[in-house]
Amino acid sequence: MNTRFDEIENKVKALLASYLESSGHPELEKHGEITGATNLASDFTLDSFQVMEFLMEMEESFDIMIDMNNLSNAHTVNELAKVVDSLLES
Amino acid sequence: MALLEKFASAAAIRDKLGVGGQDPTQVVIDQIVSPTEGLVGGRHTILAGTNNYLGLTFDPACVAAGKRAIEEQGTGTTGSRMANGSFATHAALERDLADFFQLPYGMVFSTGYAANLGTLTALVKPGDTVLLDADCHASLYDGCQMSGANIFRFRHNDLASLEKRLQRLGDMAENCLVITEGMFSVLGDTAPLAKIVELKNRYGALLLVDEAHSLGVYGESGCGVAQAEGVLGEVDFVVGTFSKSLGAMGGFCVSPHPELDLIRYVSRPFIFTASSSPSIIASTHEALRQLRARPELRETLWRNANRLYEGLQTLGLHLGPEVSPVVAVRLNKKEDALSSWNRLLEAGVYTNLMIPPASPDGFSYLRCSVSAAHTPVQLEGIISAFAHL
Repeated sequence: MNTRFDEIENKVKALLASYLESSGHPELEKHGEITGATNLASDFTLDSFQVMEFLMEMEESFDIMIDMNNLSNAHTVNELAKVVDSLLES
Repeated sequence: MALLEKFASAAAIRDKLGVGGQDPTQVVIDQIVSPTEGLVGGRHTILAGTNNYLGLTFDPACVAAGKRAIEEQGTGTTGSRMANGSFATHAALERDLADFFQLPYGMVFSTGYAANLGTLTALVKPGDTVLLDADCHASLYDGCQMSGANIFRFRHNDLASLEKRLQRLGDMAENCLVITEGMFSVLGDTAPLAKIVELKNRYGALLLVDEAHSLGVYGESGCGVAQAEGVLGEVDFVVGTFSKSLGAMGGFCVSPHPELDLIRYVSRPFIFTASSSPSIIASTHEALRQLRARPELRETLWRNANRLYEGLQTLGLHLGPEVSPVVAVRLNKKEDALSSWNRLLEAGVYTNLMIPPASPDGFSYLRCSVSAAHTPVQLEGIISAFAHL
């Protein structure tokens, strides 16, 4: 049975897959398998603008606001899920 | 030497930019011939990427004012205003800027970047909140990050996105500063400031607008987009720069709030920076007088902007969303943009290359900024160069 965190992490993975498919960025490389360890910048060549755009998608999907100051240590899907988890908890 | 290894990525970027010609970040203009023409690599080149909107850099009165200031006041102030004292001319420019905006308080900074850092780090602190447009300039982001405030972005020019965040803040919205720009620098689009003012008033937030690219361009007397939208008096802080329409260097903040004068006591980017040299203050002040006295400069600028936008649109190029003095041509791939930028330069037209992540939407752009000083022949030359890409 999935824990709440697993559900959040799975949703982040699905959002990332959807973003990569539909973002329309002409130079974005297509993705392979997305795991908790997937690093947005190094595994998918998302540049800083695209990472920020994806974070906005996450904000809307989870109905949260992500403080940019909280992102310095959030580079992977798992780390982003932890940020979302803490925001939903608070 | 591990500390220096991080520069490997910068070297890789440099090497890519240099492929197929000139590195766009390292262009040297050997000689400036006029506000809109220079010699680059021995070739006469139309300068179509200078932000010299009113073309005042060679204005005889501005040049004379700068020369006179050097002769009368020396080449520099040699220190900060806090430690060395303000020259009377700094204070006079602050008064005239405030008067121009019809606001009671004005403050001058040494650069536009310092104006944003200096204002934001004083205005917001840890525990406060800023909501800023996602496409805001790096100096606004940097100021917010230096302040330690909570930083949330809203989608570019998206009122629903902004309101949703204001709603979510609830009572905390009263400790919130909304930040946006008048005209955005890459695509030349403008913020819906009248509606943003209505939102910030409804939720009790404050609003800071950066009019760096819109000063001298928009509004009945050239104050910017807030004036054009009829809400200048309701913007809490207007920041801007002297390095575009005013043809010099420096920045400012004007405000209806008396607290602006207190920023002088707490703003580290203001306190710990040398003040602008007398010649810069003098030429800026004269340029402000020219801006106020010669509305025909704005009329010429807009006539030129319309001609360039129309000419490039006729070529079937994908342009920014609205006619403005910033005309940006969109390309899908960085390599195509770099190659086209080089071909334009070889054809004698200098533009700005904007590629991800520095561009606002993942695309690449050849950005032109129009000047009132561009001649009809130069404008046709720019259009012709694009036609031959």
